[in-house]
Amino acid sequence: MKRVTQIFAMVLALIFMASTTSQAQSKNKVRKMEYNSQYNYEVATVAVGVDGTKLVKVWGYGPTPEEATRHAKELGIACAIFRGFPPASNGAAAKTPPIVTDSDAAEKNMAFFETFFAPGGKYLQYVNLSTDAPPSGEDRIKVNKKTYKVGVVLSIAFDELRKDLEKEGIARKLDAGF
Amino acid sequence: MKSIISGLFIIALALNSFGQAKKPTIMVVPSDRLCISKGYSMTFDNQGSQQTLPDYKKAFQNDGDLRMVISKMSGMMADRGFPLKDLEQEMKNLANEAAEASMIASTSSGSAIAESPIDVLKRTAKADIIMDLDFEIKQMGPKKYITFTLNGLDAYTSKNVASASGSGQPSSAATPEILLEEAVLSYMDEFNGRLMTHFDDMFKNGREVKILVKTFANAGITLEDEYDLKGTTDMLSIHIEDWMADNTVEKRFSLSDATATMMRFEQVRIAMEITRNGKQRAQDTRMFVNELSKYLRENCQVESKVYLRGLGEAWLIVGEK
Repeated sequence: MKRVTQIFAMVLALIFMASTTSQAQSKNKVRKMEYNSQYNYEVATVAVGVDGTKLVKVWGYGPTPEEATRHAKELGIACAIFRGFPPASNGAAAKTPPIVTDSDAAEKNMAFFETFFAPGGKYLQYVNLSTDAPPSGEDRIKVNKKTYKVGVVLSIAFDELRKDLEKEGIARKLDAGF
Repeated sequence: MKSIISGLFIIALALNSFGQAKKPTIMVVPSDRLCISKGYSMTFDNQGSQQTLPDYKKAFQNDGDLRMVISKMSGMMADRGFPLKDLEQEMKNLANEAAEASMIASTSSGSAIAESPIDVLKRTAKADIIMDLDFEIKQMGPKKYITFTLNGLDAYTSKNVASASGSGQPSSAATPEILLEEAVLSYMDEFNGRLMTHFDDMFKNGREVKILVKTFANAGITLEDEYDLKGTTDMLSIHIEDWMADNTVEKRFSLSDATATMMRFEQVRIAMEITRNGKQRAQDTRMFVNELSKYLRENCQVESKVYLRGLGEAWLIVGEK
């Protein structure tokens, strides 16, 4: 009888371990999906930039702080193109609408954006880091063993980006059709 | 070779379909509140009641902040393909035009330029979209901040087609000029985003205009007179309404008021382009109302006069030319 109880307890323990592992796996899966989602932008407007630029703080993810910073730059530009920036919470700046208003623009111009956002791609031309030091303190969070989350303040050449996308025919000009 | 020809055809088609619609003119006008609160106003006696109106000339001559804000906005709008009409310059041009028109005479007979009272009345600064600008520098303890309001008003439908407003971050270090510049930089993108939405709607659903139908007093015609048109006998006003339903984009219009001598059509959606003499042409309200005038002449033998008030408003005065 004692042996039966021991086996039963072991089976229960195995079931519990399997369920927690699968829960952790599904949590990781959800997190991965969120990281890769085209709608997931963690962005805040910091202040009004100098003429034609936007000063924003963007959070990026990556296995190293450097990789997370690179991801943040990519997200900052993607946000300027597809979602726009929210207003600054302290009233320092109004909201900025997205450059591209067509909701299907990403799918329609997939080839262009794949090249544009490729590692070392043209998107880097429109983004400047406002600080040289790697993020530290509350701007550098270790999410788990493999992932860092960093917040970087970026100066985005918004007007230049808009003009170039208008030239490429991806963004619609304000005077288009007139 | 075949692909080159088809390519050229596609380019020609694209060029033909774009750049056709009539471009609205935009002008920044300081709000009445801004002018009156800063003392740029004039008061006159209008049949016993005192009326205060903004004095734009005085505002431009005295307010450096206003000039700076308008200059910044003009630069940003020109950058987006919409150079703004300058109110100050327009007022100077109109004054010069009036002086020159009164001096010109024909060399053969010495005749002056024919100018009706309505021509004189029409000599005012106007634009299709008015950017109504208001701002105020406020104090909060040692800090200053700015409240900024920008409304894009359609001059004909009186609708607010784009707007941006808010209060800036209080600062004790920044000068009023810097605060104003920041406000313009901050709000113009939002304003232009809304303007873009308005233009998108215009291209999708047609230009929204206002049309007034009136009658000449001496013509002896009312809009309640019955006419037989293609076998249907009905009031002239009903025939006009039927024509509007047949010629507006998706039959969109509303008859907001009608009497025996007047009809007021609002929210009339007219196509941006029409085919005229086999060619695609941009359409404005005058051209649209001219088609109604032709229809009444051909089908009801009623003459009418088309009077243009601007890109988005025209009147049809029935009874005489």
